[in-house]
Amino acid sequence: MALIELDHIVKTYDLGLSKVPALRDIHFSIERGEFVAIVGQSGSGKSTLMNIIGCLDVPTSGHYRLGGRNVGELSDDELADVRNLEIGFVFQSFQLLPRASALENVELPLIYRGLPKKERRERAIAALELTQLADRMTHRPAELSGGQRQRVAIARALVTEPSLLLADEPTGNLDSRTGEDIVQLFLELHRKGNTIILVTHEPKLAARCPRAVRIVDGLVVADGPGRAVAMANAEALGAEAVAQLLAAQQAAEAR
Amino acid sequence: MSDLSAKGGSNVSAAAGSGSAAGVGPGALLPLRTSRPKGISWWRKFLRFFAELRDAIVQAAHSLISHKLRALLTISGISIGIATVIGIFTVVAGMQTSFARQLSALGPNTLYVHKWAWGVNNNQWWKMRNRPAVGQFDWHALEANARMPLAIAPSAATQAVVGQGEKELKNVDVRGTTEAFLEAGGWQLKRGRFISQIDHDLGTDACVIGADLEDAFFKGRDPIGGTLKVGPTVRCTVVGSMVRKGTAFGRSQDVTIVLPLSSFLRSFGTKRGLIIAVVAPAGKVMETEDEIIGVLRNARHLAPGQEDNFSVNRQDKILQGFNQTMMAVFLVGIVVGIITAITAGIGIMNILLVSVKERTREIGIRRALGARRSTILFQFLAEAVMVAALGGFVGLALGALGAGAVEVLSPVPATVNPQVVIGGLVGSSLLGAIFGLWPAMTAAFLPPIEALRYE
Repeated sequence: MALIELDHIVKTYDLGLSKVPALRDIHFSIERGEFVAIVGQSGSGKSTLMNIIGCLDVPTSGHYRLGGRNVGELSDDELADVRNLEIGFVFQSFQLLPRASALENVELPLIYRGLPKKERRERAIAALELTQLADRMTHRPAELSGGQRQRVAIARALVTEPSLLLADEPTGNLDSRTGEDIVQLFLELHRKGNTIILVTHEPKLAARCPRAVRIVDGLVVADGPGRAVAMANAEALGAEAVAQLLAAQQAAEAR
Repeated sequence: MSDLSAKGGSNVSAAAGSGSAAGVGPGALLPLRTSRPKGISWWRKFLRFFAELRDAIVQAAHSLISHKLRALLTISGISIGIATVIGIFTVVAGMQTSFARQLSALGPNTLYVHKWAWGVNNNQWWKMRNRPAVGQFDWHALEANARMPLAIAPSAATQAVVGQGEKELKNVDVRGTTEAFLEAGGWQLKRGRFISQIDHDLGTDACVIGADLEDAFFKGRDPIGGTLKVGPTVRCTVVGSMVRKGTAFGRSQDVTIVLPLSSFLRSFGTKRGLIIAVVAPAGKVMETEDEIIGVLRNARHLAPGQEDNFSVNRQDKILQGFNQTMMAVFLVGIVVGIITAITAGIGIMNILLVSVKERTREIGIRRALGARRSTILFQFLAEAVMVAALGGFVGLALGALGAGAVEVLSPVPATVNPQVVIGGLVGSSLLGAIFGLWPAMTAAFLPPIEALRYE
């Protein structure tokens, strides 16, 4: 059974005067252990799809099954527990609590699970060590660089041992070097057998994922190996992008 | 940590055979899982309650500290309200004790026969006004026919200027009575003697003075044998002085001079109404009351169907009348309290709404990480209750301070009792919870995605 089953998902935003379709008919599934990139231009609906997969938003019509359970039939409290137990969400804008230290931010989801303070602390420290932020634990988000904040956000998503890691533009706000560190971390998590979905508009990043789903105007237009989807995308974008892409690939293979 | 590594290891081999071989990186163990997680056990849910409660309190404190001025303004609003209510209740309670204390000086076994019913403020005024005054006739009837009373002391009173040479004292209570008065009125002699039967029978110029008069006219001297001028015409000779009795309702009871009843009536008018104090034997107050009513009805020739045209007043009856008045003040206090509570509550609601607006994104973040609606509700309620309880606390302190000031500056005893303290704290917390509920609900029912997107 697939971990994620998207069954003709439609999402329409009602703006009063007009209805804007964000997702028109999304229908695909993701198995356990997959590493999938969702690519598309801004406004294509990829973030909306991500929010639905992350149980933060509900589709206008269609069914979303996570681990066999129809999310639309869950109560609000059950959804909260699903978000806490099964999903690790890394937001594009990090979404850290500004008043809390890095450690407190990472501990937060464990509070909602009822873990004792000592265990929360131990796990949060382990997660921060994993993202190599052990020396910045007492800093507040404002005192951290963009890359460090991103790593706090990832540590927070990992600390709950989620079944599914979701990342929205994880490298979008980072310089290329820090971005590469993050990508490496994801690849490694994938090698360990974890299910990861990331949203990106960068073909370079999508090309390195085993599978990519390309969304245009709320419809899936391509679904296949990351490199093929990215290439197809790049063809559409032009020769300059192709050159960029090839360089990136070579760099990746050299590693 | 050991169970983490165990879980990671076993899952990895099953799900990603080829990938696990290449497992390198910063940590040998990665806190991710590849199997379905178990739900949250009831024990975890129990622990979660306390973890969330603690977090809610910490966050609420944080929120208040980071918005000191805003919190201060709301707290001051609540505290002024609480202080006002406590002030009213404390003063009312104080007046009640004070009044009861002064009444007890009248003696629980003393009955007062008077034209007027004391402490009753209803519409019998006209009826009582037209009654014949209680006079010497009634006194004599009681002396002759009532067997139960231990003492019968008629008295009449007015206010007059008392002087000695150049020195004058205005608004002195001048009283005419007989020797039984000492027993009935709770006064004690300090020097000399009291008015005697002979003084009354002969209408002598003897007088007994209160402590304030003694201080005013005979400072450092023996007052016995001294003379005083009472009103424009009367001269009297001091035969005794009385022990200080203290103040009642902000007025000294010791600015007083006592004359023989006959002398008083001669000088200040024979038609003047009397109050006859009747001391009943202990435990026989009711019987004595019945007896004197019978004697007086008989003396006044009232037919069986006719109403009494006099009143027999008792300490507890007066207290009853007083309590009616105080109840009215009390009710006003409650109304004022409710109005202040609503005003303060609206203040709480307002800052909570602002707080919810400000922290909308935070609500979204928490919801995304697994906070339930009740978690968010809790968090904002904690803030509301904290503000309100702080306000209640400050209000109690202010109220206690005010009560202390009343105690020191006025004769009314005013102490804040523990019930008021507990009631104030519980009440203000409840107020916070009630008025915080709606803003907290709006926060709890925000859709997570909208909260996250809020700018």
